[in-house]
Amino acid sequence: MRGVASKPGPIIPSNAGVLRSLTVTMTVMCYLACLAIGALILINRAVDSWTSGLSREVTVQVREVEGADIEAELLKAQGLLSAAAGILSIEVLDRSAGAKLLEPWLGSRNLDDLPIPRLIRVVVDETSPPDLEALRTSLLDVKGANLDTHQRWQSELTRMARALSVLSLAVLGLICVSAIAMVIFATRAVLQANRPVVELLHLVGARDSYVARQIDGRFVKTGTAAGLFGVALGVLTFFLLGLTGPEGAGGIADASRGLLFAPPRTAAWSYAIIFSVPVVATLICLITSRMTLIRMLREAL
Amino acid sequence: MVRLENVGLRYGLGPEILKDVSFRIRAGDFYFLTGPSGAGKSSLLRLLFLALKPSRGLIHLFGEDVATIERSRLPALRRRIGVVFQEFRLLDHLTTFDNVALPLRVAGQRERRYRADVMDLLNWVGLADQAHAYPPVLSGGEKQRAAIARAVIAKPELLVADEPTGNVDPALADRLLHLFVELNRLGTTVLIATHDDKLVRQTRAPVLHLEHGELTVR
Repeated sequence: MRGVASKPGPIIPSNAGVLRSLTVTMTVMCYLACLAIGALILINRAVDSWTSGLSREVTVQVREVEGADIEAELLKAQGLLSAAAGILSIEVLDRSAGAKLLEPWLGSRNLDDLPIPRLIRVVVDETSPPDLEALRTSLLDVKGANLDTHQRWQSELTRMARALSVLSLAVLGLICVSAIAMVIFATRAVLQANRPVVELLHLVGARDSYVARQIDGRFVKTGTAAGLFGVALGVLTFFLLGLTGPEGAGGIADASRGLLFAPPRTAAWSYAIIFSVPVVATLICLITSRMTLIRMLREAL
Repeated sequence: MVRLENVGLRYGLGPEILKDVSFRIRAGDFYFLTGPSGAGKSSLLRLLFLALKPSRGLIHLFGEDVATIERSRLPALRRRIGVVFQEFRLLDHLTTFDNVALPLRVAGQRERRYRADVMDLLNWVGLADQAHAYPPVLSGGEKQRAAIARAVIAKPELLVADEPTGNVDPALADRLLHLFVELNRLGTTVLIATHDDKLVRQTRAPVLHLEHGELTVR
């Protein structure tokens, strides 16, 4: 006999329609959260790599100055740099290398007549960097020399990265707020649809916590399922984006591949953050539905 | 056990449904509540099973003042009251068995513990064969019996029934009345709202008569 021998049926009807709609919208929210987290990880990783490249190198620029032999000034600068502590290597770029750098602006025509500055690439020891201010002062002896520490670019990049990170975090915050609002709406809908059942449960002696438990379990399942679907779609999206371009070409394809197939330690961290989405979705569903239920149930007699 | 003093009830800004209702029911009493339709019987019962709060006056249940009791203590109080609703209020998505077992389940009992008791009671009210059936397929009388079984399954101290024999044939009405009398003999305080004069005459129990919102004891 079904109702007698088997497990008792759920006291409150399932309201599958409301929960199905919530699963779909929560899945979309989790998917968007996954993309925002992916973007955040990629931005931070790219900025780390750019800024470490920039801080590893400084450039000495030597301009042609009237009455001075640029080759002699270059040698002087090279000597000063070699004598400074904290410098790993020095490379004097030839004139054509400087011309190549100007190609995007001036084209590939003959630039022999132009006073193109000469560049010295200096690789510094990141663990014990040189005193750049002292180096700058000593380079004052070299006519037309100027030390570029890339500080401006570094701070520009950091500022941009910070802005993008804040934007991603704001998107994540908005997603959480929207998810909470949706769960509140769905909880109210479920409770409203079952008002007669809830009233009867109260009249036969059910506590608010008992009634809430009959409902919020469904929201927990919805949150977990939506979180897992959203993450699966997110990972699939990064995987497909990774297939859209050849390796080493840079851009979003390389970045997506870097996100999914990074070195184990980095990948583990990325995956841990991405897979926190179902956990957060489940917690949002549990806490929001429980609080909404208890608040609404307290309004009843 | 039940004490009402100058209780008044109105819904919103409407007219007063109950006016200065005062009476007392002691533990072990058996009362009928009679009166014409619209006299306020169901409203009075709703006050007694804590579905409503009075607009004025005092209601004491089991020594507790209903107006000042903390909300967290209401479930414990409600578990001491069995209610037979006029409109049955069975849950259509639960079997007859699960409907009858509802007060025990809500109180946290496991099915294996209450299964035999529920089946015994279903057998007694003639619904053992319908234990697995859902309310929409039950007749009016069967629903009525299921509702009564649910009200008494947890052996309440106070049983409040609104027209409990309204949908059953005379033979079953007698049988159900016998159940209420038996429960009363075992210590349950019973208050039955009814239009059925024959039922009232059969037991010779005292009657609370409600008319135009005013109560008299006969």
